[in-house]
Amino acid sequence: MELQINGKSQACEVDPQMPLLWVLRDVLNLTGTKFGCGVGACGACTVRVDGQAVRACVTPAGSLQGRSVQTIEALGTPQQPHPLQAAWLAEQVPQCGYCQSGMLMAAAALLQAKPQPTDADIDQAMTNLCRCGTYQRVRAAIKRASGQQPVGAAS
Amino acid sequence: MRRRTWLLSAAAAGGALVVGWGVLPARSRLGAPHLLPTAATEVALNGWLKVRGDGQVVLAMARSEMGQGVHTALPMLVAEELDLALDQVLLEQAGADAIYGNVAMFVASLPFHPAQTEEGHRSTSVKVAQWMVGKLARELGINATGGSSSVADAWDVLRMAAATARASLLAAAAAQWSVPVQELRVRTGVVSHPSGRTAHYGQLAAAAVALPPGAVSLKPRDQWRVLGQAWPRKDLPSKVNGSAVFGIDVRPPGLLYAALRMSPMLGGSPARLEPDAALRMAGVQRLVRLPSYAGSSAGFAVVGSSYWSAQQAVQAVQVDWQQRPTGALDSQRIRAQLEARLARDDGFVFHESGDVQKLFAQANPAAGTPALVRVAASYHAPYLAHATMEPMNCTAQVSQAQVTIWVPTQVPQLARAIAAKVAGVAVDDVSVHVTSLGGGFGRRLEVDFVAQAVRVAMDCGGRPVQLIWSREQDMGHDFYRPMHSAYLEAALDSQGVLQAVRIRSAGDAITPRWMERTLPALAGPVDTPDKTTAEGLFDLPYAIPHQRMSHAATHHGVPVGFWRSVGHSHNAFFSESFIDELALLAGKDPLAYRRQLLAQAPRHLAVLERAAEKSQWAGPLPAGRARGVALHESFGSIVALVLEVSLGPDRTPRVHQATCALDCGTVVNPGIVAQQVESAVLFGLSAALYGRIDIRDGVVQQSGFGDYPLVGLAQAPQVQTWLLQSDAAPTGVGEPAVPPVAPALANALFRLTGVRRRELPLMPA
Repeated sequence: MELQINGKSQACEVDPQMPLLWVLRDVLNLTGTKFGCGVGACGACTVRVDGQAVRACVTPAGSLQGRSVQTIEALGTPQQPHPLQAAWLAEQVPQCGYCQSGMLMAAAALLQAKPQPTDADIDQAMTNLCRCGTYQRVRAAIKRASGQQPVGAAS
Repeated sequence: MRRRTWLLSAAAAGGALVVGWGVLPARSRLGAPHLLPTAATEVALNGWLKVRGDGQVVLAMARSEMGQGVHTALPMLVAEELDLALDQVLLEQAGADAIYGNVAMFVASLPFHPAQTEEGHRSTSVKVAQWMVGKLARELGINATGGSSSVADAWDVLRMAAATARASLLAAAAAQWSVPVQELRVRTGVVSHPSGRTAHYGQLAAAAVALPPGAVSLKPRDQWRVLGQAWPRKDLPSKVNGSAVFGIDVRPPGLLYAALRMSPMLGGSPARLEPDAALRMAGVQRLVRLPSYAGSSAGFAVVGSSYWSAQQAVQAVQVDWQQRPTGALDSQRIRAQLEARLARDDGFVFHESGDVQKLFAQANPAAGTPALVRVAASYHAPYLAHATMEPMNCTAQVSQAQVTIWVPTQVPQLARAIAAKVAGVAVDDVSVHVTSLGGGFGRRLEVDFVAQAVRVAMDCGGRPVQLIWSREQDMGHDFYRPMHSAYLEAALDSQGVLQAVRIRSAGDAITPRWMERTLPALAGPVDTPDKTTAEGLFDLPYAIPHQRMSHAATHHGVPVGFWRSVGHSHNAFFSESFIDELALLAGKDPLAYRRQLLAQAPRHLAVLERAAEKSQWAGPLPAGRARGVALHESFGSIVALVLEVSLGPDRTPRVHQATCALDCGTVVNPGIVAQQVESAVLFGLSAALYGRIDIRDGVVQQSGFGDYPLVGLAQAPQVQTWLLQSDAAPTGVGEPAVPPVAPALANALFRLTGVRRRELPLMPA
């Protein structure tokens, strides 16, 4: 099948039932998207499909024909990082970093839908789990990237 | 200069360098240059540092980055002493030599009371024990990342390695230019002389290697430019663009993938396997049976062309499981056994002072001295899983008696040792590549998954194979934080002053089990007292005239392991909840009560006062909110935590604000310390609210984030971190803020509800 991944058309000979996560990781070697639970509970595998945040571990490849997938590898470029990536560094968000690709993709989808998200918007959209507890910095970085005053930045 | 003089002068030059006798780095720990592999343009100056042709310096990195920022903190030590910018220090994984071993972690594992290890108060026997363990740890050279010890262990060693290298480089410049070394200056790795001559380190290294460093001194604190600053972490750029390589991200050519099923009954094994249907599935190559390795349950793996195909097939295998030969494990039964053990005997007495027995006898109402009030309470904490976001995994390749593993591990040499054992090759025939760790928290001090991956790779005809555990396998086959129960008793005089405390606790000891499965050559024939069982209970900072603290170590067969903050994780809940109970009994404010008990503990008192001030402990609160406080020392650091808590409409506790004061000695990077405090508070909060692992008929009942929930962003409090100024040597950072969370929360809930919760977790299942 033909999949649109990061702006490129990719021919993939895979079972249509194969979840997008494993197509990305094991077929296309795009390893930035992570495996955390396999049941859509943790969000480590979050990518964008037509701009929306989607959990790739429960999204069959066959459901993606004609749709556009974006992974962390294409969120920004070294020359032009996404504002969220710059904000993530400014707020020093990641620790172990494993969940952060998914966090960033969920945040990117949020900002596209709501360029100035409120705390309630952030609470609702950011359901990804982080075992290192980076949440307050995630919130501060989303605010920073959306041009709002970061609240409760690390003291 | 003779070695001892050299060490002492270096120590003196470091200012208030407080180093335990046992952890003083032997000069041998600086290592010889030949320990570092070098490219043609590189020159090694000792076992830790080499200089590249362009003047940048490469540090042999012997600790794993699992989120705690050690790949930034350790190069900061080097950048400071070598006068380099932080980005001029590059990292390469260290080899297996003993100089890279963790000495501080092993010395800290000795079961001494803090009063016994204070500088100036150490008895000869304490000094001898510390020296012997330090010596043994140096000989063993176990490179382990854990015990909040990385910076403490590296503090002298890496600064001396860098200062020594700098002295040789300067000696080389002085010799080349025929100028006195005192006239040289260094800035970002460029040596200059007032005459106008300059050279960067890369131009001096070849000459420097032959020159003795001469007199070496560490930079005085007031000249620090790097240490104490919140430098951005070196590893973060790769963690915002997906390029950081975790264990599951390595992609050696020809890679196969393996999925795993172990006996759902802990310690069980497959009685009968019917793999034919699974092996006929597309992309599936083979099934490999796996015995119990390093504490794991037995099972099997299926190898396929993608992880998904392997996972589909492993699920399709028909299998009959059998219980372990000694019978099914059951957490409720184990709990009853712990209570019975507590009633039966004390176990090992970790600390005793005064005469608790006599005081308690006086407090007995029948003795007719109502001046003393006696109180007792039972506490309990369940098994817990680590639940790292990156499930256990290891990639292995076995070809022609050469083994290569790529693994997110906290113990690369132990991984190497078990890989060699499983493959039947010499240790020297195993190469280990340590990847980034998607969380460790102690789970990756184990090597069960390494052995499994190597065994699978042995059947894959020389191709590399990546074994990944599913979340269900990861949750159901952890090395759990052990269940513990405690019985705490106290006697207060008529003024409410605490006169006596007796604490008895029981639970499985971790260290002997871990030694048996990961370091079998060193495991003893009998269990010796394990500090991790009693830490945080036997070493209370409070002035209590009569104390007796004991722990009865049990061995129930549930795989137990080191879990972030280890024994402190349950013991602080017991002790700091109980202290709150005593404050109530004495009719005192809980913070004021602690303050009174800390009159002779100035460091603890200062931490408590900072938390009180910053949390506005005595200040007004919104309706429906209460504050709870806890104070705890672990890994050499002191934490006071105040939580501001309310109850939601469904009576769910909600933590709004966490105010944390921390004394961790000298702060190397305050930004990273704040990150770690935030992390530890959230880690502790998930456990305090929800964390429990139940075992029935041998089967762990929790299988994922649905039934082992973590606090999410919407429930996360704002954590504020306040660091105390200190010139003492650095102590632990990654763990110490975990222990006070559960008691601070329970103490706040008591103020909200009037109900004392003595069992974790605080949310009903």
